Amino acid sequence: MSISNEIEQRLQAAFQPRELVVENESGKHAGHAGDDGSGESHFNVVIRADAFAGLSRVARHRAVHKALGDINTRVHALALDIAE
Amino acid sequence: MTDVKTRIDETVKASDVVLFMKGTKDMPQCGFSSRVAGVLNYMGVDYSDVNVLADEEVRSGIKEYSDWPTIPQLYVKGEFVGGCDIITEMTLSGELDTMFETNGVAFDKDAADKIREANG
Repeated sequence: MSISNEIEQRLQAAFQPRELVVENESGKHAGHAGDDGSGESHFNVVIRADAFAGLSRVARHRAVHKALGDINTRVHALALDIAE
Repeated sequence: MTDVKTRIDETVKASDVVLFMKGTKDMPQCGFSSRVAGVLNYMGVDYSDVNVLADEEVRSGIKEYSDWPTIPQLYVKGEFVGGCDIITEMTLSGELDTMFETNGVAFDKDAADKIREANG
């Protein structure tokens, strides 16, 4: 399974989002720092879920980090756009 | 606390604004660190930069200290504020200005407005 799919599955299960977009942006960073040649190094996630209501920005990010578990360390960069 | 945590704690509390980053404020070595340092530089904020690439102990220790897995990390008055995504969002929404004002941190309001105009 690709890392994009893994990210999607874990976030879907954890937050039942209304909107979830996972973009693999690794191609934009080819040859730059952090590109390990796998084509799965840089990701951009947009997530909208009621589960984030009432949480601070830091708490929202921590919740997503927790749901992603070991994926955090398997990718070089993960940009998160989180809202309720 | 372990030695490294004590060291980080002292660093975080030694200045009003501290940025843990890859590279330095004058020569960032990562796009995300560069973006946050760029905002602070442009807004004329007086801050301390800590290059985690120069200290492996701090590089891993800071992640445990804040329970935050990535660099950069911004601290104001000893409190963790966020990483690149959060600082970017707060810059554009004006929350960063409010947070600096609340904490008595001087910055160039016109410069902050210019960032918002350019990215609005």
